[in-house]
Amino acid sequence: MIELSHVSKRFGEDTAVDDISLHVAKGKFCALVGSSGCGKSTTLRMINRLIAHSSGDIILDGQLVEQYNPVKLRRRIGYVIQSTGLFPHWTVARNIGLVPRLLKWSSNDVTTRVNELMHLLGLPVEEFAHKYPHQLSGGQAQRVGVARALAADPDILLMDEPFGALDPITREKLQDELAKLQARLHKTVVFVTHDMDEALKLADHLVVMREGRIVQQGTPLALLQHPNDPFVESLLGGLERGLKQAALTRVKDHMTSLGQSLPAQARIPADFSLRQALSMMLRDHCDRLTVVDQQDMPIGELSLRKIVKEARVDKVSHRDA
Amino acid sequence: MRSSVHRSQQVGVKPQWMRPACWALLLLISVLGMPYLDAIFRWVEPNARQVIYSRAEFYTLLGRHVFVVGVAAIVTISLGVLAGIAVTRQWGRDFLPLVGQVASLGQTFPPVAVLALAVPVLGFGTLPIIVALLLYGLLPIVRNTLAGLKDVDASIKQAALAMGMTPWQVLRRVELPLATPVILAGVRTSVTINIATAALGATVGASNLGDPIIAGIVNGNMAYVLQGALLIALLALAVDSLFDALQQRLDLRLSSS
Repeated sequence: MIELSHVSKRFGEDTAVDDISLHVAKGKFCALVGSSGCGKSTTLRMINRLIAHSSGDIILDGQLVEQYNPVKLRRRIGYVIQSTGLFPHWTVARNIGLVPRLLKWSSNDVTTRVNELMHLLGLPVEEFAHKYPHQLSGGQAQRVGVARALAADPDILLMDEPFGALDPITREKLQDELAKLQARLHKTVVFVTHDMDEALKLADHLVVMREGRIVQQGTPLALLQHPNDPFVESLLGGLERGLKQAALTRVKDHMTSLGQSLPAQARIPADFSLRQALSMMLRDHCDRLTVVDQQDMPIGELSLRKIVKEARVDKVSHRDA
Repeated sequence: MRSSVHRSQQVGVKPQWMRPACWALLLLISVLGMPYLDAIFRWVEPNARQVIYSRAEFYTLLGRHVFVVGVAAIVTISLGVLAGIAVTRQWGRDFLPLVGQVASLGQTFPPVAVLALAVPVLGFGTLPIIVALLLYGLLPIVRNTLAGLKDVDASIKQAALAMGMTPWQVLRRVELPLATPVILAGVRTSVTINIATAALGATVGASNLGDPIIAGIVNGNMAYVLQGALLIALLALAVDSLFDALQQRLDLRLSSS
């Protein structure tokens, strides 16, 4: 669990982080979003004490960070950065095994763990263990970076724009894999990015920062539905916001049971997003879809008119509340 | 098949060590064979009473030369690298300009002048020439240590700290290994220059391969000068190619698959 309360960081006259409070529950994925220089990376680095905060409290697992020995603290927090920070004079295997070795694991345990992680991150051991970082592609290097961060099985993972330098296809692939990994490992993650789509895709909790302050925080859906500030709204894509929201909604949450009417021709699996459903409607020129389960059996119906109506009801009910 | 590969690795000399070995062999042959080259040097100095320098054996002179340069190198490397490390740490940053200037001053000050100033204080013999070599050889090492350490990517150092390395571990395991090729290049320059400069020691009574040169100049015997110069050049070439081989090995290790 990570708790920041009224944390500020001043560099001389400049205030990089200004009175932010933030709570990341155990096993949750928190994304800090904002343009460069908004203090998101500084916030991240204050958590593992790479930067000392000027005021406020940062609490990890019930204890103030300054009460931890910084070296020991960092060994229990995974850290991934954009430029990977891999050691160019070490092989992939040695890079990944760094923290376990610092923690004085036996060399057998280190080897076992390294192999396990390489497998987990989709890096075949025979092919990659003895390669050097300069022999890797950007995506492979970042996989090694993530594996290194996970090596000693830390509860907390800090990621500073880990996919920022990758091409869009590789980036998307690694995002998907990180989401799968997180569903399995349940780390407490703080993830810094300037890419709102990335944040919407991965985060349980979204924190929008601007000029050192938190502008708004909440679940991705809550922010999409009720951005409280023009800046947040523009970050969330302005007019595209509706589609982004639809991307976070499952088809099964909006389907109605199969009525008397004949099911529509086009079929869509229930765990697809509403955005994919809308796209399919546009493509196939229809306003109704048959929702199917994993065995491709019809279980319901999705109608455009109903989606639009529910979105309106959502809005009205929230306004009342 | 496996054993044959193994054997060839054990027996075969790696190609990068061939050149330094050749130069060292040539040096050895020249040192031991010099007294027998009377006929050749007679041709250079037909009228001299004696054409082969004989006040000391050449291997003794070579030994002293290597000793002086070696001692100076060990002290210079320790001082230079330590100073370079110290001023790139957080606590030593204030001394960075000072150390840079002192090292530059050492090299702009001519070794002959250092000798002239050192003799009244330290007396004649080996000590003044070691001091002169030390001052003269410090700059390349300090400069390259600073450059090498500064070249280490900031994000790599930050990652090392963030992984939970202590500052000492960051230095030992990350910064120094990555800076070693550049530092080694500085050591190479420093030592090679000092092999030649050490000959000046002969003027203040530190007997080494400079002796035949000084004696030759004083007595107008070019054969002596040639003998000293030849051996110093061969020593410099042997040591320089040794450093070359070391650097190649290092590059190989840093970029091998």
